[in-house]
Amino acid sequence: MKALIILFLTAIVVLFAGLLKKRDLIQSLRIGGILAALVVTVMDLYQGNQWFNEMYATMFRFDTYALSFTVVALLATLLLFGLTRWGFRELYDTLGDHYALILFSLCGALCMFSFTNMVMLFLGIEILSIPLYVLAGSRRDDLRSNEAAMKYFLMGAFATGILLFGIALVYGATASFDLAQIHSVIVANGHSPQMLSVGIILIIIGLSFKVSAAPFHFWAPDVYTGSPTLVTAFMATVVKTAGFAAFYRLFSMAFIGAGEFWMAALAMISALTMTLANTTAIFQTNFKRMMAYSSISHAGYLMLAVLVAGQPGAAGAILYYALVYSLATICAFGCFLLVAEQNQDESFSAFNGLSKKQPFLAAAMALAMLSLAGIPPTAGFFGKYFLFTAAFEQYPWLVVIAVINSAISIYYYFKVIIAMYFSPETNAYEVFIPRGFRWAIAAGLVLIALLTIMPGSVYNLI
Amino acid sequence: MSLLLLLIPLLAAFSLLATRHLPARQIALAATLANLAVTAIALSGFNGDGSFNYEVNLPWVATAGISFRLGIDGISMLLVLLTNLLAPLIVYTSFSRNFELENRYYGLVLLMTAALNGVFMALDGLLFYVFYELALIPIYFICAIWGGENRIRITLKFFIYTFVGSLFMLVALLAVYLKTPAFVAEGLPAATHSFAWENLVAVQLDASTAWWVMLGFFLAFAVKMPVFPFHTWQPDTYVTAPTGGTMLLSGIMLKMGIYGVIRWMVPLAPEALHVWAPVFLGLAVTGIVYASLIAVKQSDLKRLIAYSSIAHVGLIAAGVMAWNKTGVQGGMIQMLNHGINVVGLFFIVDILERRLGSRSLLDMGGIAKSAPKFATLFMIIMLGSVAVPLTNGFVGEFLLLNGVWNYNNWLGAAAGLTIIFGAVYMLRAYGLAMFGEANRQTENFADVDRREWIILGAVAGMVLLFGFFPQIILNLTDGSVNKILGAVQF
Repeated sequence: MKALIILFLTAIVVLFAGLLKKRDLIQSLRIGGILAALVVTVMDLYQGNQWFNEMYATMFRFDTYALSFTVVALLATLLLFGLTRWGFRELYDTLGDHYALILFSLCGALCMFSFTNMVMLFLGIEILSIPLYVLAGSRRDDLRSNEAAMKYFLMGAFATGILLFGIALVYGATASFDLAQIHSVIVANGHSPQMLSVGIILIIIGLSFKVSAAPFHFWAPDVYTGSPTLVTAFMATVVKTAGFAAFYRLFSMAFIGAGEFWMAALAMISALTMTLANTTAIFQTNFKRMMAYSSISHAGYLMLAVLVAGQPGAAGAILYYALVYSLATICAFGCFLLVAEQNQDESFSAFNGLSKKQPFLAAAMALAMLSLAGIPPTAGFFGKYFLFTAAFEQYPWLVVIAVINSAISIYYYFKVIIAMYFSPETNAYEVFIPRGFRWAIAAGLVLIALLTIMPGSVYNLI
Repeated sequence: MSLLLLLIPLLAAFSLLATRHLPARQIALAATLANLAVTAIALSGFNGDGSFNYEVNLPWVATAGISFRLGIDGISMLLVLLTNLLAPLIVYTSFSRNFELENRYYGLVLLMTAALNGVFMALDGLLFYVFYELALIPIYFICAIWGGENRIRITLKFFIYTFVGSLFMLVALLAVYLKTPAFVAEGLPAATHSFAWENLVAVQLDASTAWWVMLGFFLAFAVKMPVFPFHTWQPDTYVTAPTGGTMLLSGIMLKMGIYGVIRWMVPLAPEALHVWAPVFLGLAVTGIVYASLIAVKQSDLKRLIAYSSIAHVGLIAAGVMAWNKTGVQGGMIQMLNHGINVVGLFFIVDILERRLGSRSLLDMGGIAKSAPKFATLFMIIMLGSVAVPLTNGFVGEFLLLNGVWNYNNWLGAAAGLTIIFGAVYMLRAYGLAMFGEANRQTENFADVDRREWIILGAVAGMVLLFGFFPQIILNLTDGSVNKILGAVQF
């Protein structure tokens, strides 16, 4: 809660500082704001936050679950901000707007971590999404960026409509927006009336749009490819984390006793998402597009935890996976941004021979790819391991599908490693690493290494 | 002690990978020799009654029952000895070639050594899996960076093949793990399953689960060894890899698969052994005959040894899966001896290739005249590989064949062909290379230099030592083999 207030105030101040063209002020404010929010959240995590929680009990509750995910989102944004000083170097008038929009979007994510009320869930999703529509189109003279914004907006609007319709039906069936009350009505009824079932299915569809799960994922590749790279990185990390945290929270707090019917739907979505995304990613030649499909496939794995919502270990698995996945994705996008912009090439061949020119970047990229592929002993392996163990007893067949899919994924993640380490240099350019990048990427790598050595520290939080 | 075996190569590896200006060769050799010394000390205080020596047990993810647990019994000790005996030799043979980015090469070899030691010492299911996979990453890079023709395609095939295999093992491990009784350890809030070896072994599986679990493990280990028909990655990878990589793969890494069968596959799912054993043994014996037949026809010496390795490993796999005392003991001793022999043979190929620029037997001939010392050493190592009495190969193959024969006479007879075929292809290769007409290049074939003399001498010495005194090895593993055979009820 305190973090939410801090972020919101920072965003407003940054917006005005942007109006007054105070670039240096913006740079220090954005980092200061995130750091302050991070400190406050970590303190709350250890001391509790009784007063605020009681005051807003019908709307939010910043419990351990919400606070842990807040830390993940803040860390991811902090690392991204390490990349933006160079990444946004060409923005002049709109620098303040960019940072303010990212911070507003982050506020939406915080609402999605902590809602106890359907209204708050809806508001959170909207606060998260609307700034993103603008950010996706922030390269005004680039046709693909415009396309991305348009597609994202239209699809997002549809998804919101469907989600809202679902919420309305659930309200109709249970006469409440409050998660705890919905749950008690469902448990008391013992069976689910048709209206509730339809409502839940519509909510699943709406949220699947947001987390880009198949068959509602068609917007993602175009939007990811067209948006500016750092905005894509934000979408792939914070937005995806927020989507899944909300998904899991909703199902574990409200719908858990509503019977089996939505389980089958979710299991199908999960299997379809993994398989479609992985088999399509193999054929990509553009790195960003490959990462888009990779991010869709990770949505499929994360869905495993939503399926077993409420079981011990499931929430911890989502938290750990989201953190590791975010760190690896940010490292990967950071390396890619440097290589692609300085080489004017977004395909895999841009990486040819990178290990000889910039061993640090190549090693970071390799570790990120190994982690995304879930190869032991990287942290990504433990992420997959926790998810698979959580789901294995109830859905062994789905875990087998997931395992086969993670084997397929090696093929496309290794394309990058092969280009960096085994292919001869084909590009005459030099890669230069700006200061912020080195720090952000190194911090990401250190965190991944720590998570490998002590997976329990995060997994056991919730 | 067991922690040292991991930490020494690991630290050396990271210091070599992170920097550019350290003397890579010296550090690598020093680290592997230090590991050999630690192994020797561990061996001197070793208690061979089948209990775990030098146990280390640190919590890792306590709430999920995962711990960092290492221990060495006789079976592990033998393989740790093999790893640390061969590692300095492999590093030393690599001195003969100048690698681009040398520090990375030696760093990866050291990382590999650490991972292999970890595989053979791990007593926690998940830790075993992590080391098992960790071993794959350095060898993939070694083969793909410094390999020969078509290396990228071949090594990616190798990586995906073995990785997919071990994913099935992960699923099998999970299935057994979730069947372990959940208990509350002290200081923990909730009950949890456990990955500890004893707990996994104690689980009684029903017939159908055991069937799946054993299949999962078998796929992982069969790809690694490799057993027919999962061997298709092997000849290409061995041929394309740099000599050091081939030695690591054939000398040590494939033993991970056999070790896995003895330590994990059979003890965890013994209920399915009587169903699966005929299939596994059938595949292994088919592989022996098949690979031997192909080896007879080869003219590329490196490829010939690669196929002979499939045949030899097939015999080890068959003997171990027969799961009787002679078979398993034969497998243990033969794992060590095969590792020693194959490293010697691949080094001989490397010498020939460096001097002649070719590995084809058709380009050789008459070398024995110009290089008598080389020919003698080659002869000793070759005889060890053919399993002539009083060389190290004999005892192992004899016990293995005995074990397979006891299981089923027909299979034993078919497996016995390996000795005949082995003699045929090895003697043919030796004859073509060493005798006959010398050509212009082989006339001036330089005899072994000092480094080659040391390495081949050490290998030949071990061939004779373990040939004369196989009892050293058999005594080392006897207690543990008895214990593991006794513990497995089916």
